[in-house]
Amino acid sequence: MDTLRVENVGKSFGQLEAVKELSVAVQAGTVYGFLGPNGAGKTTTIRMIMEIILPDSGQILINGQRNTSTETLDRVGYLPEERGVYRKMKVRESLEFFAELKGMRRREHGPKIDAWMERFEMTAVRDKKLEELSKGNQQKIQFLTTVIHEPNLIILDEPFMGLDPLNADLVKEVILEQKARGTAIVFSTHLMESAEKLCDAICLINKGQKVLDGEVRSLKRNFGRNHVALNYNGPPDFLVELKNNGLVERYNDSGNYVEIHLRNGASPQKLLATAIQKVEVLRFEVVEPSLHEIFVATVKENLGRDTTDTLHFTLYTLHV
Amino acid sequence: MHKMWTAFRREYFSRVKTKGFIIGTILFPVFLGVLFVVPTLMMLVKSDKPKQIAVVDQTGEILDSLLVALNDKNEAGERLYALIAHDADDLEASKKTLSASVEEGGLDGYIIIPASIYENGAAEYHSKTVTNFQENNRIESALNRAVTDKRLQRSGLEPEKVRGLMREVHLDAIPVGSGTEEKNNAGMTFGIAYFLGFFIYMAMFIYGALVQRSVIEEKTSRVIESVISSIKPFHLMAAKIFGVGAVGLTQFLIWAVVIGLLSFYGSAFTPKAGGFSMPNVSFGILFFFVLFFVLGYFLYATLYAGVGAMVNSEQEAQQMMLPISMFIIAPILLIMYVIGNPNSQASVILSLIPFFAPILMLARIVVATPPAWQIILCIVLTAATIFGLIWVVGRIYRVGVLMYGKRPTLPELLKWIRYA
Repeated sequence: MDTLRVENVGKSFGQLEAVKELSVAVQAGTVYGFLGPNGAGKTTTIRMIMEIILPDSGQILINGQRNTSTETLDRVGYLPEERGVYRKMKVRESLEFFAELKGMRRREHGPKIDAWMERFEMTAVRDKKLEELSKGNQQKIQFLTTVIHEPNLIILDEPFMGLDPLNADLVKEVILEQKARGTAIVFSTHLMESAEKLCDAICLINKGQKVLDGEVRSLKRNFGRNHVALNYNGPPDFLVELKNNGLVERYNDSGNYVEIHLRNGASPQKLLATAIQKVEVLRFEVVEPSLHEIFVATVKENLGRDTTDTLHFTLYTLHV
Repeated sequence: MHKMWTAFRREYFSRVKTKGFIIGTILFPVFLGVLFVVPTLMMLVKSDKPKQIAVVDQTGEILDSLLVALNDKNEAGERLYALIAHDADDLEASKKTLSASVEEGGLDGYIIIPASIYENGAAEYHSKTVTNFQENNRIESALNRAVTDKRLQRSGLEPEKVRGLMREVHLDAIPVGSGTEEKNNAGMTFGIAYFLGFFIYMAMFIYGALVQRSVIEEKTSRVIESVISSIKPFHLMAAKIFGVGAVGLTQFLIWAVVIGLLSFYGSAFTPKAGGFSMPNVSFGILFFFVLFFVLGYFLYATLYAGVGAMVNSEQEAQQMMLPISMFIIAPILLIMYVIGNPNSQASVILSLIPFFAPILMLARIVVATPPAWQIILCIVLTAATIFGLIWVVGRIYRVGVLMYGKRPTLPELLKWIRYA
């Protein structure tokens, strides 16, 4: 049984169709990435899962049950994109409050809260007001409220936004640990790279519609091994030349790193030989395509040439 | 229920534990005491010191009678007003000297009784302050008595006999059937009606604003989405209104105990303070007071919560509050009329309007006894309005708390209510 099933869900706000006929399934013990540019409908979908917004059509099942009952939603931990705390509340009080809102009783949450605070190095500030904490520590507290009641579905809307690298690692660690416990984790992001490293499966949405979904591994395998990662030092003009002589289908240059999509049947050896003549090659590797590459290729295929403008906009927002 | 209880507890304790609540709870009775008791005490203290008043008596015969008539004494048995005869051949010159000595402090004031007083009935009192009405009245009535006595004597009548014949009748106005029959006079009943009405008025403003602030706080701090992913928005709103209401009741309870203790232990010394005593409020009136307080609170707290959900900041809320404030202020402006004419058609209709009922129906119950059907109809109407409002505001709240940015227009608001 899937931990989360979103079935043919649609939602409009007046003229705007925010989500169209969306279906998603997330299995227990997996990390599921919800990817797409800003405004694609990620947050709307997540809010519908949490029953904060009611869908116009379709239904949502959590652990096989409709999400309309509070008991069902008590098994979910949720970190919204819009984050905030009760500024005047004390740290421990606020954790107790949210644990109880999730249906925990006073006597059962105490030791759990203490253990988590210990681990997140918050024990010293337990009786401080939240407004006295740094932004990073406030974020840690909010993240804790999503795991204390031991949910079997955790939904994180842009969890790494605004986190420093140390705290981002801590959050990642907890995500993987929860995954090992059999919890399903859904997180949304517009950053392909963080998704690529963490996710077992993904769903790419754009303008409220699913563009692509599936296991990351099989998505990559199906896309073939005709990608080259190249670190170089020198002028980037050789890339234009490579494209002109028909070796390269497409490339994504970042100045000293470039991901190259070879034309079908083209030889990576030939590419390397050309590159060496023009620039200093620091690394050369035949790789699986990145999610970014897959996204670009898929959207292009689906939309055709005339919509390249939209695509560029989409790609742009994906990078910010 | 468990969740609502959790949200209720947070709302309640996060308010009761603040310094603001503790200070406010202590300060309010102190403030009230200062407002009522201090002026009475002040007057007594001030008038204790005998006053030196010069009298320029141009008739040559009033002063003696005035000495008899103006014989108020302080607690030490001294005359409050020491009257000093001042001969004045040149009136203007005397006025100057007397005024000078008033300014220096040698005199507290001076009275000029012109020879024409029998015909014109006019005299002058010069003093540094002329706004002490109590003192002006005393001097005026003493002078009146002195002049009237002289007039009577001149006409060959005996002042004592005439005064006996002219003795005034005192009318005691006592309301029937409200259980307050024995003790309270009309003034006291009026005072109770006004005070209770005013109290509800203040409570609706203060606690309503508290509910609103609580809604806005959750919105501006962005904590709201985490909260309503765990508890239904409607339940959260209800917990909030009950929580703040409980804060209000706690405050009342503390005040009631304080006032109770004061009137019990304090009755030994308060009555002497200018006849200030605790009004006698019956159990029935107390019951209706609590009932209408609760009704009024729910009515306005719901409205305030709705406004809180629509706006982004307290400043924005201020602008939207005007219409609601008008509904709260209107009955306070009308209460004088309703107390004066509790059974007029206008009063009956006004007191049945749910938004005015908490103050006006209560006032009517205090001063007269409206027919039972009116009271019941009023309660039913108000309760129905509250339920309707909760339904509408609950929907606005659900959508509104997640909306940031532009304030909704009326059509948008209707859309929220329809789609939520």
